[in-house]
Amino acid sequence: MQVKQNNFRPMRPFSGTTTGRFRRATSCFFAMRHGAALGLLVFGLMTAWSQSAPVPDAAHPVTINTNVDDPAEPLKDSLSERGSHNFSDMGSWIWETNTLDRQTVRFWKSFEIPAGATVSRARLRVTGDNEYILYLDGRELGRDAEWRHLYEYDITSLLAPGSHVLAVEVYNSSREAGFMFGLRVGLSSGKVVAVKSDASWLIVPEDVAGWEKTIEPPDTWRHAKVEVAFGSGPWGTMDYIDLVPPLQPLNIPFWKTGWFEVVLVSVCVLVSLFSFMLASQVLLHRKEKLLLYQERARIARDIHDDLGTRVTQLVLQGEVAQSELPSGSRTRGQLERISDEAREALLAMDEILWAINPRRDTLQEFATFVCGHAQTFLKTTPIQCVLDVEPAMSAVAFDLPFRRSLLLAVKEALNNAAKHSGATELQLQIRRQGEGLTVVVQDNGNGFDPAQARTERNGLANMAQRLNEVGGKCIVASQPGTGCRVEFYIPFTQMRRRPWWSNWYSGGRLTKMPPVRAAKKK
Amino acid sequence: MSKPAKPGQPLKISAKSPLKIALVEDQPKVRDNWSQLINSFPDLSCVCICKTGEEALRLIPEVKPDAVLMDIFLPRMSGIECTSRLKALVPDVRIIILTAMNDEELVFMALEAGADGYLLKRTKPADLRAALLDVLTGGAPMTSEIARRVVESFRLKAKTRDESLRLSAREEQILLLLAKGHSNKMIADNLEISVDTVCHHLKHVFEKMHVSSRTEAVVRYMASKTPAAS
Repeated sequence: MQVKQNNFRPMRPFSGTTTGRFRRATSCFFAMRHGAALGLLVFGLMTAWSQSAPVPDAAHPVTINTNVDDPAEPLKDSLSERGSHNFSDMGSWIWETNTLDRQTVRFWKSFEIPAGATVSRARLRVTGDNEYILYLDGRELGRDAEWRHLYEYDITSLLAPGSHVLAVEVYNSSREAGFMFGLRVGLSSGKVVAVKSDASWLIVPEDVAGWEKTIEPPDTWRHAKVEVAFGSGPWGTMDYIDLVPPLQPLNIPFWKTGWFEVVLVSVCVLVSLFSFMLASQVLLHRKEKLLLYQERARIARDIHDDLGTRVTQLVLQGEVAQSELPSGSRTRGQLERISDEAREALLAMDEILWAINPRRDTLQEFATFVCGHAQTFLKTTPIQCVLDVEPAMSAVAFDLPFRRSLLLAVKEALNNAAKHSGATELQLQIRRQGEGLTVVVQDNGNGFDPAQARTERNGLANMAQRLNEVGGKCIVASQPGTGCRVEFYIPFTQMRRRPWWSNWYSGGRLTKMPPVRAAKKK
Repeated sequence: MSKPAKPGQPLKISAKSPLKIALVEDQPKVRDNWSQLINSFPDLSCVCICKTGEEALRLIPEVKPDAVLMDIFLPRMSGIECTSRLKALVPDVRIIILTAMNDEELVFMALEAGADGYLLKRTKPADLRAALLDVLTGGAPMTSEIARRVVESFRLKAKTRDESLRLSAREEQILLLLAKGHSNKMIADNLEISVDTVCHHLKHVFEKMHVSSRTEAVVRYMASKTPAAS
């Protein structure tokens, strides 16, 4: 036996063609930032799936030495009749008429499984000198490059009744060249379909594309030439049989099919678009809010710097004018009224300023203002105001609609107390209670019957309405002779925490309203 | 009851030697009106009018008025900054902050910077004199909000400052009652002390505030002077 050059080429997995596309799909998938989480999930799922799916490991066939009588023990069980030393099914060594170095010859043969028959066992043995690639019905079953070995394939599950096409590409690197093949298909009826390498195989011309799938060969294809029978010639009997694990019908998993990739990419694109839309909306919303805050701050500044100064100036001017007139003059009285009006206007402005200044959007500021208001308001009445404010509330956000509604409601309650209660003491309590803010206005006055009061006094309905608008509630408890207790409650769930960027945008300009006048107004 | 030893001469108010008032205000009309109003009182006299904080720092140490009325919004140097610098230069001058709008946050900042009190610009002239004299003799009126902020700021400082600059238990007690909305009278009744004692305690609180801010102000002033020397 001559020593041949062994151009071993490792097998590629059969399904290798789709992995490239798949990889491209996944990498594109990962490039999309927003869909990354979903991508990981799907990818993980698919990886788990593909690991559990049985993939024929044709790269590592089991080799049996046919010179040893007792083949390896485990093979007996799992492969039963496989690897037997019976070579009666083998055909002859065949080749083309001419044998050349570095020559590729493509052999073609079709065979028929009778209709209605069931294949009980199909054993295919093949080898080529030097290399072969074996196709069945256009599908590559395997390839190898060791002429001293016979390669045995179990294709039982690949054969169904009907016509099948065998195609083998054999490459000869130098000198002797040959291809040998034997297929034995046992049918359940006991019949046997046998295909051997012989002169009936056709040689496919070089330039034919898709030859391995061709069902009807044209007449131009020539027949192969038998060189020597099995066991003779330079090759001798085969010492080794390589058992390729049984082949299964190609089951392309759904995630490797084209449509799935298309769907996957579309989903990714859609998810990305959707995320992008959401993100831009959030951004827009934030920007709007930021603009609103800036605008509120600007208006507050304008009122403070300009309007406030001007009206103050008005007050002063009125006072100076008064001082220049003799006391008791009519004009002086009128001027005094003008000054007082202007003072009232300033007082109203204080409140507007408080409402629109975004820096006042905290519970602490709310408490401060309400307490200040209560004290100023009750100063002119015989009612003593007692404050009970929870300390350290400063960080909690309390947005304009809430504090405004609550302020108006508290004012209403104070007004009621001043007008109707006849109390000597009023307690204003501001506390956080559970997940909400509670403001209690309690007086020690006459009290009333809420059932009767509701109809005649509009103030109570007003308070309830104001609290309702912002998702809060208002509880009025009173009995004749026991004073009155009005409790306002706003749950914090209605408010949001102050966003992190509020510090940034209010940073230099709003946290400390610049006590320096930017431009002189003449 | 013994009066606390204040630096500088005690305030004597009489028509013969009227109180010398300096005015720091950038708006010409307001300036004129205020000086007119001040001069309309026989025992007050406007001796110095400054248009900017810089001018005030230059003129006031020479004029040595009894009290300075300081606008809070001034171009370039704010009234608050001017107050702290002025206090560093002339420690015994009384500074009263004038504000157009009732903004207790700013007022507190001014008090911390060393101001002795504050007045709303819209205050009626009739009340103005009394309020002015009140501030000059008894310190700023403590609203509950200011009291709350004072307690807060002392608590913040307590960790880093020496013992002498902390509020005493009684002082804190009074401030907390003020923060609850009690009047000086109510506090006096509550603690069974005289109203004068309450006022005395409050005055002491302001002094502590000023002492702590003055040392800070000096440091700040020196620091700001050095690079600006060019």
